[in-house]
Amino acid sequence: MAAAVHLRTIHSLSLPLPLLAAKAATPNPGWLPLSAKPGAGRRRSLLVCAASDPSKAAGKGEAGDAVARWAAWIPRAAVGGAGPEQVLRLISGAAATPICQFVDSPRTFLHAIDPRVKLVWLLALVVLPARSNIYLRFGLVAYLTLLSMWVLPNHVWKDQLGRVALLSGIIFIMLGFGSDGAPSLVQTRTPPPSVIGLPNIPTSTNGYSYTIMKLGPLQFTRKGLSVASTSACLSFAIFQSASLCLTTTTPEQLASALWWFMIPLKHIGVPVPEIILTLLLSLRFINLVFDEVRNSALAIVARRINWEKLATMETIDIFFNYVRRIFKNIFDHAEQISKAMIARGFRGDPNNHKIYFLTESSFGIVDVFSLLCLFALVALASISDKLV
Amino acid sequence: MAHAFAGGTSAICRCPHDPGRAALVSRPRHRLRVLASSLPTPAIEGQGVELSVTTRRGRVLPVLKDCSLRVPPGQLWMLLGPNGCGKSTLLKVLAGFLNPSSGTVYINRPCSYVFQNPDHQVVMPTVESDVAFGLGKLNLSLDEVRSRVSQSLDAVGMLSYSQRPIQTLSGGQKQRVAIAGALAEASKVLLLDELTTFLDEYDQMGVIKAVRKSVGAGGEVSALWVTHRLEELRYADGAIYMEDGQTIIQGDVSTISKFIKKKQARYFGHFEL
Repeated sequence: MAAAVHLRTIHSLSLPLPLLAAKAATPNPGWLPLSAKPGAGRRRSLLVCAASDPSKAAGKGEAGDAVARWAAWIPRAAVGGAGPEQVLRLISGAAATPICQFVDSPRTFLHAIDPRVKLVWLLALVVLPARSNIYLRFGLVAYLTLLSMWVLPNHVWKDQLGRVALLSGIIFIMLGFGSDGAPSLVQTRTPPPSVIGLPNIPTSTNGYSYTIMKLGPLQFTRKGLSVASTSACLSFAIFQSASLCLTTTTPEQLASALWWFMIPLKHIGVPVPEIILTLLLSLRFINLVFDEVRNSALAIVARRINWEKLATMETIDIFFNYVRRIFKNIFDHAEQISKAMIARGFRGDPNNHKIYFLTESSFGIVDVFSLLCLFALVALASISDKLV
Repeated sequence: MAHAFAGGTSAICRCPHDPGRAALVSRPRHRLRVLASSLPTPAIEGQGVELSVTTRRGRVLPVLKDCSLRVPPGQLWMLLGPNGCGKSTLLKVLAGFLNPSSGTVYINRPCSYVFQNPDHQVVMPTVESDVAFGLGKLNLSLDEVRSRVSQSLDAVGMLSYSQRPIQTLSGGQKQRVAIAGALAEASKVLLLDELTTFLDEYDQMGVIKAVRKSVGAGGEVSALWVTHRLEELRYADGAIYMEDGQTIIQGDVSTISKFIKKKQARYFGHFEL
């Protein structure tokens, strides 16, 4: 039911309550007064709110027509389709931060692990899927999945794993059928064995077949499986391990770990403090950017544009204005934040403005155990080809 | 935005008769007023502050006209007035962001400025690191920083949020983090510019109570709070009313309330006629 909502204030200072009640009882199709609480104080501003059905009100003269016209302008939920309205509604209703953010509770053992160890694990999980056999690759995927389900709250891991699994699945199917699916058009220059009088290559006695599956004109071969599993597992490992790390480590902990690893680079002139401060500001600023994108989309949706009446160029113009507004607001934000930094004592030189990392990162027994597990995994990956 | 008078511009100097105070003195062409020595040293004092801006066409527009105010130490005062009357401009002059055309400003240091929009003020990704950001200019030990951050977050009721990412906080909570950043610098004066503009009633009360608590804690912190909301007056020790670039009246809360109610009555009476 589309409802028209009218708001008006009544100053009860000049109206005694009985009079107010009498006024409220007067039949008026457009207004449904809220009853005042009997014990409420005299100095009270009442908000009279009414919801009326325009279909009912339509038959009651001019007032009904006005209500119906008013109701027609109330934004309603978009119903399907992929028009500009739906796109903007989708953006304006998106989560505040699409990139994984730190989850401070419940605290798990991953929260307690030293961020430097986490960074080493991240590096290993980027390299290992590409340098190990297929069983270990899928083992890593299973390990990350189980770890996410164990460590993260339900709504977080379901969201993360859903998106990463969808992406990895698409990569797996596309590369599995695409890498070796279509037969090569280029003929080999080597003559077939029957021409040169040699016996043909015997078929495998233990069930080996190069082609695993055929799907119409496409075929899923062992080469395709290798490429697809490597790419899909690599994507899964990178995204999910990064998500796990970001949800269990504060930006400052990550920055402090990077700082620790980058300290030696200072000797060759790398501006480490600038890099770390830039990283921290970026991690803060990224949320402001997402907020700006959402708010600007919401501002357009709220204007209730009748997109069907607009020409294509007018629609494009609105989208260009949208993008321009986003950039303008983002630059305004950047300017304000830079002013705030200066006013808070920052003078443009990160060497003279200390960044404090207040979270203690002590290397404990959990970190040692974690590193031992990592070494074992790396050793297993390096000899995995010989085992199978 | 927290502003500390460390170094400062040419117009800001340390008060010669008191090393803990900063004085913002007008340019030599203007007369300096002599402060009454019998009164206790105020935390914030402005005498005959004037500010003019020159338009593109060369016209000189007066923004502040002979503004005088006096805020005693350890008190929370409100600066009230209609939109565009120059409250925020006067606050910026007091903070040293703008140079007055004439007049004198004395203010206890260190002094911090908290702006209206907390998203412009909070610069680090998590709460505790943002509160600690302003301390980067001071050469403090990590324990000292940790202690100051905890104390200031506790003062504004945000200690349990120290590890929280900024984007997960409400507007009022961000504003309290901004205030904590100012308190962590051990500021003796807080200049607060319409902190509650974007907030609902609950957050509004949370922020004002946090400021009230900080001001009332040791008796050393003073605050000047720019606001439009008259209901906030009951938390103040005194108030200043501005109109058309001038400070019209200053005094205790009841005096200012009566004054504003009279003005309102005259205003409504004008419409009834």
